[in-house]
Amino acid sequence: MRKVLPKAGLNLFCLLVYIFLAAPIVVVLLSSLTTTEYIVFPPKGITLRWYTELLDHPEFMQSFTLSIIVAFGTAIIATFIGTMASIAVVRYEFKLKTAIVQLVGSPLLIPSVVFGVALLQFYSWIGIAASPIALVIGHIILTIPFVMRLVVASLVGFDRSIEQAAMNLGAGSFKVFFQITLPMIKSGVIAGAIFAFITSFDDLTVALFIVSTDVVTLPVRIYTYMQYQYDPIITSVSSIMILLTFVLMVVIERVLGVGKVFASKN
Amino acid sequence: MQAEVEVQQEQEILYKQEKKRLTRKKLDSWLLLLPTLAIFIFFFLLPLFFLFITSFKTFDAGSGIGSEWTLQNYVKFLFDKFYLGVLWRTVKIGLLTTLVAIVISYPVAYQITKANGRLKNYLTLLVLSPLLISMVIRCYGWVILLSNNGVVNNTLMKMGWIDKPLTLLYTEFSVVIGMVHVLFPYMVLSIMGSLERIDPSVIRASQNLGASPIRTFFSVVLPLTLPGIFAGSVMVFSLAVSSFVTPAILGGPQVKVMSFLTYEQVTTMLNWPYGSAIGFLLIFIATITIVVYSKLLTRSEKGVAIQ
Repeated sequence: MRKVLPKAGLNLFCLLVYIFLAAPIVVVLLSSLTTTEYIVFPPKGITLRWYTELLDHPEFMQSFTLSIIVAFGTAIIATFIGTMASIAVVRYEFKLKTAIVQLVGSPLLIPSVVFGVALLQFYSWIGIAASPIALVIGHIILTIPFVMRLVVASLVGFDRSIEQAAMNLGAGSFKVFFQITLPMIKSGVIAGAIFAFITSFDDLTVALFIVSTDVVTLPVRIYTYMQYQYDPIITSVSSIMILLTFVLMVVIERVLGVGKVFASKN
Repeated sequence: MQAEVEVQQEQEILYKQEKKRLTRKKLDSWLLLLPTLAIFIFFFLLPLFFLFITSFKTFDAGSGIGSEWTLQNYVKFLFDKFYLGVLWRTVKIGLLTTLVAIVISYPVAYQITKANGRLKNYLTLLVLSPLLISMVIRCYGWVILLSNNGVVNNTLMKMGWIDKPLTLLYTEFSVVIGMVHVLFPYMVLSIMGSLERIDPSVIRASQNLGASPIRTFFSVVLPLTLPGIFAGSVMVFSLAVSSFVTPAILGGPQVKVMSFLTYEQVTTMLNWPYGSAIGFLLIFIATITIVVYSKLLTRSEKGVAIQ
């Protein structure tokens, strides 16, 4: 009895926490099915009306496309240059190394609001208008710390004798990189790219300062829409995003095994 | 004689080759770093540096930024009751979020570390999945739950516990709830890390000496995981004080925090110098937390080494 009671208590407590974690997501998903003109939970009746209604709101589709383009651009560039920088940091000794490592990690410490304001002021001074590229540059800064952390981690435990062997057999350094190094640090690089994609796709704070009336990312569109309207359209847009995330998660699980990527050591 | 010269020449050639190799290596490392470094200097350091300068300028109603130098922006903040109130509210929300996060994360981290194999993987995934879902959407879910005719109020009224809806949304309460939801995974990961490092033989020893499970937990497990709790708290606190999305959606203008004030000053009041000054005070708070933490960590290195 003395042993069972604390364990049951622990499990009950954890169950409540899991409900707390799932609650806002479940509520968004279910309220998107309501037949009413306003958001209500539990939904009254079931309809897909709010999903078809999205077709009358091309601005959401435009924002969605823009967000996808920006997130792809960010993920590709940040992963590419972040991997290069990680190799430099792990394999070479050079001056100011500590300072440079701290610099590229510092976007995690600087509040995004302040970075957004700084970037807005800088862009307007040098005359860069709101554009996908302006957004991608801001997002590269936000995502490089994640990419480098993951790639550096996979480079550190790397057995270099295989590379040495390939070199001795006459392979050039490019061939060695693409045929030996890259395949071995693959999981770190892919995890970095996925993190970069999600961070960029999710970013509201920095984008809020850079967007203009024509260039609006999806999070900014949702944020501004819900300040004036309270109809279920937002819940259907959000539900599509949640479902996409689930699909992405299943893909990660199949390719890498999420447990392996996140859990420290199993 | 002849042989000596040859050896010398050979050494010279080797030395030159080595030097060439080193220079090439140096060049390689800088070439690899160049794109990242260029982007960081040009689009991160430089903009922040200019914003820092802006925070020492006077306000100009026309262009936003005046031409005179002044310390007034910082003085105005630090000697005004209203703004100090905002600062205190930001810190208070950060502390409350950290505290609630510790209380609800610890049992979950404990349960996950105890679980084995597949279950452990699934639970980890479940706990971390909120990280992958858009923050805007999660906060929006809380708006639906906490609004005046939202789920929580409706349920309470149906049960007859309250007569009229409680004001839950746009309060410090809703901001803390939203922040805990967003930052929870960081705390769980941090505590899980230190729980996993505990040597099982220590726990067996405690049990063999006759301690009850509860006694073992409070006098052995909990003290050993304090560094994990501490590290998680620093991360959650500094992310909480600097976050913008959650207080903007769940608090709005009614619950002003530093980040929202920065946003408002710049976009609504167009007072760039004052907005920048508030922003740099916010950076100061977030940084000082981390600096103090790492100082304490090096001092208590011996305590940590026990793990």
